[in-house]
Amino acid sequence: MAKTQIEDINRNIYDFKKEDNYDYKIKKGLTKEIVEEISKQKNDPDWMREIRLHALEVYNELELPTWGPDLSELNMDDIATYVRPKSKLNSSWDDVPEDIKDTFDRLGIPEAEKESLAGVGAQYDSEVVYHSMKEELKKQGVIYTDMETAVREYPDLVKSHFMKCVPVNDHKFVALHAAVWSGGSFVYVPKGVKVDVPLQSYFRLNSPESGQFEHTLIIVEEGASLHFIEGCSAPKYNKVNLHAGCVELYVGDNAHLRYSTIENWSKNMLNLNTKKALCGKNSEMEWVSGSFGSKISMLYPMSILNGEGARTEFTGISFAGKGQNLDNGFKVIHNAPNTKSVINAKSISKHGGKCTYRSLVRITENAPKSKSSVSCESLMLDDISVSDTIPTNDIRTDEVEFSHEAKIGKISDKAIFYLMSRGISEEDAKAMIVRGFAYPISKELPVEYAVEMNNLINLELEGAIG
Amino acid sequence: MILNETPVRTSKNFNSNNIELKNFEVPQENNGFLNRNIYINSEKKIMIVAESQEDSERLNDLYEDNKVLVTEITKSDFKLKYGVGQENNPNQFIRVLAKEGATGVAINLEFTFDEENTNLQDAIEIYAEKDTDLDVTISYVPNEEFGEYSYHNGVIKLTALENANVNITVVNLLNNSSDNLISFENKLLDNAKLNYTIIDFGGKNSITNYYTDLFGKNSDNRVNSIYLGNNNQLFDLNYIAHCHGEKSNINIEVQGALKDEAIKHFKGTIDFKKGCKKAVGNENENCLLLSDKAKSLALPMLLCSEEDVEGNHSSSSGKAGQKELFYLMSRGLTEKDAMKLLVRAKFNTILEGITKNDVKELVSNAIDSKL
Repeated sequence: MAKTQIEDINRNIYDFKKEDNYDYKIKKGLTKEIVEEISKQKNDPDWMREIRLHALEVYNELELPTWGPDLSELNMDDIATYVRPKSKLNSSWDDVPEDIKDTFDRLGIPEAEKESLAGVGAQYDSEVVYHSMKEELKKQGVIYTDMETAVREYPDLVKSHFMKCVPVNDHKFVALHAAVWSGGSFVYVPKGVKVDVPLQSYFRLNSPESGQFEHTLIIVEEGASLHFIEGCSAPKYNKVNLHAGCVELYVGDNAHLRYSTIENWSKNMLNLNTKKALCGKNSEMEWVSGSFGSKISMLYPMSILNGEGARTEFTGISFAGKGQNLDNGFKVIHNAPNTKSVINAKSISKHGGKCTYRSLVRITENAPKSKSSVSCESLMLDDISVSDTIPTNDIRTDEVEFSHEAKIGKISDKAIFYLMSRGISEEDAKAMIVRGFAYPISKELPVEYAVEMNNLINLELEGAIG
Repeated sequence: MILNETPVRTSKNFNSNNIELKNFEVPQENNGFLNRNIYINSEKKIMIVAESQEDSERLNDLYEDNKVLVTEITKSDFKLKYGVGQENNPNQFIRVLAKEGATGVAINLEFTFDEENTNLQDAIEIYAEKDTDLDVTISYVPNEEFGEYSYHNGVIKLTALENANVNITVVNLLNNSSDNLISFENKLLDNAKLNYTIIDFGGKNSITNYYTDLFGKNSDNRVNSIYLGNNNQLFDLNYIAHCHGEKSNINIEVQGALKDEAIKHFKGTIDFKKGCKKAVGNENENCLLLSDKAKSLALPMLLCSEEDVEGNHSSSSGKAGQKELFYLMSRGLTEKDAMKLLVRAKFNTILEGITKNDVKELVSNAIDSKL
């Protein structure tokens, strides 16, 4: 059967770039002076400046990872860690400068806000330029703001949670993040409050040879619930850009949090992001993750199930095309009795792209009667691509149920033959099978988020094949 | 000492890239190992002794009529550093050659540890020429009542030429105060078939490295392995299979049970190399935990650079079924006996693969005494 050539995803809707029109751009590189300058520019309180300086020391001590994709092309001396756009924080799109507003218009954010979101935050380069939330949520005590405002206005809440879930010395890029972080969102959902409509933050990196280091801190108190959506994109430049964000999630007892991410960075981006959730008693933490863009991605969200009966679910898909190396996965630590995790990961590699699924499931001595089930499937769309599965399963007690399954392969000729014998063209049959493969993930993505995600799925899976 | 490194590294925090043995020392004294026997088709034979490796090749010409030639080479200056990473300076060097077309050959190599023979560093080379049919059983067993420390570091290297059909069983029943390091290295050409059965019960530390290269078209390797740990035994198993040949087939089945504070690390890698079209690789690892202090770590990897292949792996850990236990106990069995029966049932399909009945019985008794 003739091989169907799959073209690279058409990224035109994300690849437009705006002039690098900044208000302030820090000089490239990473030194104590630069970190102090960022701290000064951002008017940090003393405790935050100390965290930054301590993190820089940790960064200098830690080694690059000895595993995973080759990061040798990353040279911190070429990266500007802070770029302030020519805009202050606004709560009306009309006040956002025209070129920045146009960017978010083209990404469909204001439109989505009107139709289906309870709150929106939009970050351009290093600063958040727009933030708003529906009145009724404010009345219920929900806080949704940018991190800088949170540091100023809710210092106790931030201080007791900032870099506590993800310790500064977790790995080199977390330390880097803590030293130069800027922007990001802060969400606080008080006890018992259920936020029915999702909140969304969108991160856009426009400036070339720069880094984005946003910090997302979400606290969902006992019995509360929230759906948070994060979207990221950037135009393509010839030089490397770096994204080293950090997401800290605190899910209280009986609380529920769904965290959906669509990462569609451009293909010059190194995406070295860290995400971690601490889960209380009978809480529920759901991750939905789509990883499409970036040149190199190392992203392993993590749930730590500390409360009895806590549950977590991870549903993720990676799609690696030409020149991409997506090393993604999930980590879970069962640290209390009766905890459960369900992991469902899929990957598609094409055009010489490399997908790696790397994971950890650890069931500790403290977690009897826990259950974990892992399933990962990889689809190879041609014979020049690479797909690896590297899962670690660490079971330290006996009264558990653990199972792991992984499959790797191509589109079944039999299935194509069957569909073709029913009158469907070969291209349509292949597209149908690939869509079916991705369906368990795409159905988990919020329909309201159609603006960006559906475009992507269609472009990649429908338009791309044939 | 760091041993058994995986072909691809993962995060250091996962503790699965290698095994670090603390307080591990290679015994300095190496007085040779004399307590070994060889049987060919159940008949006890004296090995043909060659002075050197070249000698053994010369002997090959002398024994033209024989189907098989087993040579013990007394002098060799060669040092091996195989998969486990620990250098082996052989005090036993045995070469088994099955000549082209030889069929129905069964060889049994027995190494018995006792007060006099505590340090075995063996290199066994098995060479199966075209169209051969060979069955080899190798056992490492302590003499009854021998409970002292013994050290075993062995290498078993197999080359199977076109259409060779080889069946190998390796039994490790060393006592729990010993160290067992063993590496396997296989090379399979077109249509060669290899069945490996590995029974891994002994040693305070038992480190296994299994490496197989499926070069040939239609080459086929099945590995069935069981481990059974009690007290504070540590098993570190590193299985690596490279599929190069079209339609090559690898099947790794590892079944085990852990009692007391035993620990097992299983690392299994199936690597589909470019060009191995229609290759199939399956890997299944299952660990029965018989105590809340036992620990099971598994890293089942699939690496794939070829589209037209089929790779599956599955791994599971858990307690013995409570329902099954209850059923057996309601039929009058004690909990201990019921448990034994369940473990035995789990191992049974693999035990059936052992061709020699006395070895089968030996393993069976070992299961009873360990549980």
